[in-house]
Amino acid sequence: MNRPLPRIALGLIVPALILVWWTVQSNAGGARALAFVPLGTIAATFADLATGGLLLGDALTTLSRAVTGLLLGGIAGIALGVAMATLRPVDRLVGPIYHAVRQVPLLGWLPLIGLWLGNGESAKLLIIGLAAFYPTVLGTYEGIAHVERRYLDVGRVYGFGAVQRFRHLLLPAALPLILTGITQAIAFAWIATIGVEILLGAGGGLGATMGIAQAQQRMDIILVAIAVTALLGFAINHLFARLRGHLLRWQGNPA
Amino acid sequence: MSARVIAFGTALLPPLLLVGAWQIASSTGLFPPQILVSPADVAGTIAELVRNGELGSHLGDSLFRLFWGFGIGALAGLAFGTALALSRLFEALFQPLFQAARQVPILAFIPMLVLLLGIEEGFKITVVAVAAFFPVALATFDGVRGIPKGWLEVARVYRTPFPSLLVRILIPATVPPVLTGLRLGLTRAWLVLVAAELLAADNGIGQMMEMGRQLFRIDVVLAGVIVSGLIGFALDRGVKLFERRYTRWRVA
Amino acid sequence: MTAQPRIQPQSAATDAPASGALTLSALSKRFAIEGRALPVLDGIDLSVRPGEFVSIVGASGCGKSTLLRLIVGLDTDYSGEIRLDGKRITGTSLDRGIVFQDHRLFPWMTLEENIGLALLNSEIPKEQRARIVCEHIALVNLTGFEKAYPHQLSGGMAQRAAIARALVTEPTLLLLDEPLGALDALTRVHVQTELQRIWMRQRSTVLMVTHDVEEALYLGDRVIVMAPNPGRIRRIVDVDLPHPRDRSSPVLHRLRDEILAELTGAPDPENLVRFPAQEPR
Repeated sequence: MNRPLPRIALGLIVPALILVWWTVQSNAGGARALAFVPLGTIAATFADLATGGLLLGDALTTLSRAVTGLLLGGIAGIALGVAMATLRPVDRLVGPIYHAVRQVPLLGWLPLIGLWLGNGESAKLLIIGLAAFYPTVLGTYEGIAHVERRYLDVGRVYGFGAVQRFRHLLLPAALPLILTGITQAIAFAWIATIGVEILLGAGGGLGATMGIAQAQQRMDIILVAIAVTALLGFAINHLFARLRGHLLRWQGNPA
Repeated sequence: MSARVIAFGTALLPPLLLVGAWQIASSTGLFPPQILVSPADVAGTIAELVRNGELGSHLGDSLFRLFWGFGIGALAGLAFGTALALSRLFEALFQPLFQAARQVPILAFIPMLVLLLGIEEGFKITVVAVAAFFPVALATFDGVRGIPKGWLEVARVYRTPFPSLLVRILIPATVPPVLTGLRLGLTRAWLVLVAAELLAADNGIGQMMEMGRQLFRIDVVLAGVIVSGLIGFALDRGVKLFERRYTRWRVA
Repeated sequence: MTAQPRIQPQSAATDAPASGALTLSALSKRFAIEGRALPVLDGIDLSVRPGEFVSIVGASGCGKSTLLRLIVGLDTDYSGEIRLDGKRITGTSLDRGIVFQDHRLFPWMTLEENIGLALLNSEIPKEQRARIVCEHIALVNLTGFEKAYPHQLSGGMAQRAAIARALVTEPTLLLLDEPLGALDALTRVHVQTELQRIWMRQRSTVLMVTHDVEEALYLGDRVIVMAPNPGRIRRIVDVDLPHPRDRSSPVLHRLRDEILAELTGAPDPENLVRFPAQEPR
């Protein structure tokens, strides 16, 4: 356990076994070979897509789509969360609708939105935005609604006005939960981005490429796209976790 | 008691207002019926779909897939998460792969699984199982790992035998996070199932909506939205009730 | 219950400040619990002279903390009157500062930001604020920790920072709600000494609630002993000693024994020694 090297080696055993099994399957020929593309082909496809700029283009399309949706949904989510937590009538009016609408599985909206907006960019952004919207509303609402009364008392002692109270007290106190909401929003928006790209097809992006590759039975392309998707998702999460750590540096080591 | 009734009433009012506004908007005739139908029409469609058994049949298919997919995925997740948390060797063998696979957005597995398994029942159950597996495995791992050391030390001080340790400490301590993981897994499973049915199926709620879209039957699409929302609500609420019942000690 | 006739306390102040006179008259407070009114404070009469340090001791539930919440203006639902320099108190104001038992520094702000926020609504010009904050950090001996976040401070340091925050607005009345209650015994003694030094420099009127009779006597010109259910003044003890005080003063010890006997209803402490030792089992 104290020697890291063997541990890493252990971690490689299972992936290696899977690769061996995969190779055996692809050598078995027949119908299987369609699904179990030889590893060499996958590598070649990757090199092809990467050097041809296709992969980069797809990745950028997907990324910018995800970020746009995330910004739209996230900003709207924070705004609604703040409004619900600070204005009782808004909470009363919108809260039940929010909780009702949220129960519909996200992509279940797709046929309806497809009828309304077609399968263009706006339909995609609406779904991605919605994915980001739900957790952000919840995080913001919970964060602000649960600001401790003892801190609110301090604000009263020093005569904070509404704006001061919001800026110096409510917002920073709610920040940990808002950021938790955004973390979930990022994960959910990323899933939604890939999902709408696969389901709506047109407009490019990693998901659309996967969908087309599926129709053409190109497992190699699918696997390359999956790997890139996973890496990008990991990178986004990692970057945001660092940003979050920086913004919450005042927390020390929260238990 | 009456306070609860009032609270329920005020919670019900805004959605009713929304439905009222929707009814008025659709009766103005400003929107063509492919864009907006009245809530009354949607209710009529739901009633019709119930009467001719179509809804029941789609729903039955979807819930069958959800039951098996979630069941298999959740059990596998529980077992995997526990093994990962308890065995150093198992962790060394599987943790890197698990962490890598976890990064794949769950819907990205769909095209791959279609090529591997076709679009029959096996594919749908597998994709639902995969969707359920990751949140449950992760929550189980965190739950077992997260048992406070102090509790185990208390057990050591009192020389608690292993069976009581398991029943009195390990299981109760892991139940809350695991239930949260199960709830998340169930939500994810339902989301992915509807997506998979939209993409490739000849029955199920998702397929019903997709057919509705292709035939410009917005009433059928909305019926599907409402039914899938109700199912989502029931699933979430069911696990939450279960959570409340079995974790009462947490928040006294 | 009415306050006992008051003898003018011999404050150590040589130049007593002109403002900071607090008067409570017939002050009562009740909480509504499940539809029933529960009295927590009943007919409190008290007047505190400008610059005086008054300690309040009493058993839990005697409404000591509620009293401070009323005076600071966080709770305005009471009967009777609270006046500071003749003006009726209707809400919070920067002329009254408070230190709570938990320091209540905002965890998301550095030490200097925390102290500066007390000046957000002060009339002090913006360009002087930084200097004033700096001076108050120095006053509580925390120079060098300006950029530290509360989680990086020890309990005693955080409590001193809270004292600086309460003082930075230069309140005429400073309320201390068990300010040292959460500190360990040794740190407590340190901060008590600090508090005495700071008060001797600032000369604002102080009202301090505490559990600790020794602390109350060590710092207070007068000690108000309260009785519970409902909270009322039971006795007022004058501590006729100049500041800074010597902890080992026999006067303080005698007063402590008296007050403790009163609070616990126990017989003369000397008798306690004669309790039979427990039989070994």
